Amino acid sequence: MALEIYAYKCKKCGHLHYPFRMRCKECGKNDQFEFETVPLPRKGKLLTFTYVYNLPPAYAVAKLGLGIVELENGLRITGQIQIPEPKIGMKVTGAVEAVREDEYDRRYGMVFYAA
Amino acid sequence: MATNLEKILRPVDTPLPPYPPKHMLLANGQEMVIRQVGRDEIPDILRHIYPLILVERDFYDLVSARVYAELLAYYQHRVQDEYVFVAQTDGELVAIVNGRSVNAEVGMSYHTLALRRGLRIGAHAFASKMEYHIDILKHKEVLVVAESPIGFRRWMIEYRLEKRFDIPHELGGVPSYALTKELFDGARKKLVVGRRPVPKKLLEKAQAAILPPSDPPRPPADLLAATRSKGDVTGTALMLQRWKQEGKV
Amino acid sequence: MIMRDVFVIGIGITSFTRLEYPLTEIAAYAAMMAMKDAGISKVDHLYVANMGSGRLNRQLALGSAVVDSLSLTPAGAETIENGPASGASAVKQGFLAVASGLHDVVMVAGAERMREVNPFDATDTVAMMTHPLAEYIYGVTLPSLAGMFTRLYMEKYGVTERHLAMVAVKNQDNALLNKFAHIQQKITVEGILDSPEAMTNNPFVAEPLRFFDCCPVSDGGACVILACADVAKKSKKPLVRLAGVGQATDTHCVHERKEPTDLLAVRGAAAQSLKMAGVKPSDVNVAELHDAFTILEIAQSEEVGFFKKGEGHLALEKGQTSLKGKIPINPSGGLKGRGHPVGATGVAQAYEITLQLRGEAKERQVKKARVGFTCNFGGFGNNVVCLTFMRED
Repeated sequence: MALEIYAYKCKKCGHLHYPFRMRCKECGKNDQFEFETVPLPRKGKLLTFTYVYNLPPAYAVAKLGLGIVELENGLRITGQIQIPEPKIGMKVTGAVEAVREDEYDRRYGMVFYAA
Repeated sequence: MATNLEKILRPVDTPLPPYPPKHMLLANGQEMVIRQVGRDEIPDILRHIYPLILVERDFYDLVSARVYAELLAYYQHRVQDEYVFVAQTDGELVAIVNGRSVNAEVGMSYHTLALRRGLRIGAHAFASKMEYHIDILKHKEVLVVAESPIGFRRWMIEYRLEKRFDIPHELGGVPSYALTKELFDGARKKLVVGRRPVPKKLLEKAQAAILPPSDPPRPPADLLAATRSKGDVTGTALMLQRWKQEGKV
Repeated sequence: MIMRDVFVIGIGITSFTRLEYPLTEIAAYAAMMAMKDAGISKVDHLYVANMGSGRLNRQLALGSAVVDSLSLTPAGAETIENGPASGASAVKQGFLAVASGLHDVVMVAGAERMREVNPFDATDTVAMMTHPLAEYIYGVTLPSLAGMFTRLYMEKYGVTERHLAMVAVKNQDNALLNKFAHIQQKITVEGILDSPEAMTNNPFVAEPLRFFDCCPVSDGGACVILACADVAKKSKKPLVRLAGVGQATDTHCVHERKEPTDLLAVRGAAAQSLKMAGVKPSDVNVAELHDAFTILEIAQSEEVGFFKKGEGHLALEKGQTSLKGKIPINPSGGLKGRGHPVGATGVAQAYEITLQLRGEAKERQVKKARVGFTCNFGGFGNNVVCLTFMRED
C-alpha cells in the first residue's frame, strides 16, 4: 500500500492547508476537524535547501539533506532531500519514506529526488 | 645484571619515519604548530597534564590519566613504537595526541587531549595523527575508539569508520573502529590540512619550550554546588569533594 | 488605556558558560544580584523564564522552586515559556503586572541549564520547538531552518559568507569587553574564512551556515526587577523606563511563511513596541538583537526598521552596527558572543540595555544611549517579543 501525506481542505471554503490546523486560515468558519483529506502532489520545485551536520541522536549519519519544496498545487512542504547537486528552482519529485527512527518509533515523510 | 634486565623489559622500537611538522592558521588568527616530540620533552608535557586528572567533567580526568600513563610509558621505554605530537600556539601547549604503530599495516590511535577549546584544535590534532598513520607510516588502517559521545560523533560517525569489533582496542579492550586508507583518501580534503614547511621562526619558537596552557580546564569553583548540580545531597558526587570532606586532600 | 509607568530598578546576571550549579541556583544567583542592585529585600511577584527544564534538567515548575530558594514566599510565581523568547515574554508579563497596578515590584528572572545534557540531546530538545508533524520528524533542527533561510537571503539580497563572518567577529570582539560573556575569544575573518584551514576551523553546521555563525550552547541566568514610579523614584540609580512592549506571531512551519525571507513577526512586534514608546527606529541609540545565527542579526536589523529590507549587510559593511557606529547592535556580544541560555537570553538583553542606558557599561558603553531596544526571537521567527527602554532624566 503506497503511503500518502495529506493536506487538509476546509469543508466550508475549500482552502487547502498543510500541515493540519484546527481552524481554517482563510475563512475561520469551520467546525473543529471539519476538513477533507487531500493527498499531496509529488511534483514540485525546490525553493531552498541545506545540509545539516550537527544532528540529534536519532540520526547516526554524517549529514542530512533538507529542503523546502513548492508543490504543483501551490502548497509548500519541508522534507528530506536525496539530491546529489541541489539547486534552487530545480524540479523535484517526492516519495513517502521513513524519515526518522527514535528507538522504536518510525516516522514517515516526504523525501525529494531530482525529477 | 641490571642492564640485562632493562634490556629484557624495554621493547625494541621499530625505526619509524618522523612526522614533518606543519602549521595552520586558527580561527583567532594565531598560527598553530603541530610537531612530534621525543622522550626528552615528555617531562615538560606531563606537568601540564597532571592537574587535569582532577577535572571530573567531559572525561577530562579519565583521558588525562590515561595520556599521563601513556606518555610516562613512552618516556620510560615501556611501550612499543609510540609517537607523541604536541600542538602549540606561540609556544603554548594547546593539544596532545598520541598513538602507536602496531605493525607495518595497522596503527592504534590513542588519545586527543585539547587544552584550549573553541578553536577546533582537537579536530586539527586528530587529523594530523591520521595523516601520520596513513600517509607517512603507510598503515592500511588505524584503529580508533572514543571515550566521549562527542568524540564518537566527530570521528566514528563523521568519517564513517568501519567496525572492527573483533579487535579489542588497547584502550580499555573495547571494540575498535577503523579508519582505512580508502576512507582516509575519501576524506583527504578534510583530514590533510595545514601547511609545510613551518616557517623557521615559528618552528624555533615552538621548539624552544613547551609553555603552560593559558586557560586549561579546571575543577569547578564551588565543589559542593557542583555535586548538587549532579543531583547529589551527600557532597560525594565529585571525588574531589569527597576527598575534601574526608580531609584527604 | 490607563497604564502606570514601569521602571527597571535592579539588574543581575551570571556568567554565561558551562555552569556546574543546579538550575534553581543559577536563577537565584542572578536574582539576588538584582535585589542587591535594587536595594530591596522583597518583591510582590516573580516570573521565571525558562524553556527546557523539563527535558534538560528533569525539573518542572521552576518558578515555584526559585521563589522559595530566594525565600520570597508567599509572593506569587510563574514559569513563563515561549521558546527562545521566554525571557522577553516574562519581562512583558512583569511589565503588565506593574503597569496594571496589580503589583508594585516584580522580579523577572530567566535561566537555562543546557549543558546538563550532551550536545546532541540539547539539539534535539531545541528542535522540539519546530512543527512536530511537518518539521521535527524530518530531523529539522533550528540551525537547519536558519541554513535554508540564509541560502535564500544570500540569493535574494546578495548577503555573503563574508558578511556573516563580520557579524561573528564584531560580536565576539564586543564579548571580550563583557566579563559575563560566554565566548572570550578573538576571531578573525582570515582565520574563519580565508585561511587554507578555514574548513576545519569553521566547518559547516547547516550549509551555508558555519560553526562561527551559530551561537554557543550556554548555561546562565539573568534578572531584572521592575517597579512603579513611587518605588523607582527612591532609587539612587539613573531611571530607566520600560516604555514599550510588542509581540507578534507568524506561521509555525517556516515553509508556510508568506515570503520565506521576511520575518513578519519581528516587523510587527518591533512596530508595536516602538509605537507604544512613542519613538521611531531612527531614535534608537543601542539595540540587542537575537543573533542565534549571524544571518538573523542582519535580517532583524532590517525588519525592526534600522535599515531598508535587503540593506542590513551594507550597513554592517560600513561599520554602522559596531560599538562606535551609528546604531550599535549587540554591544554585549549578542547571543553569538554572550551566549544563549535559552530562557535567560531575553532577560539578559534587558539587562544589557538597562546597563547601557544607565551609563554603567564601561568599556562597551555606547555614548549618550537614551533609547534602547531588544528583539527576542522565539522559535524560528514565529513568536517575537520586542522591548523598548528609555532613560528618564
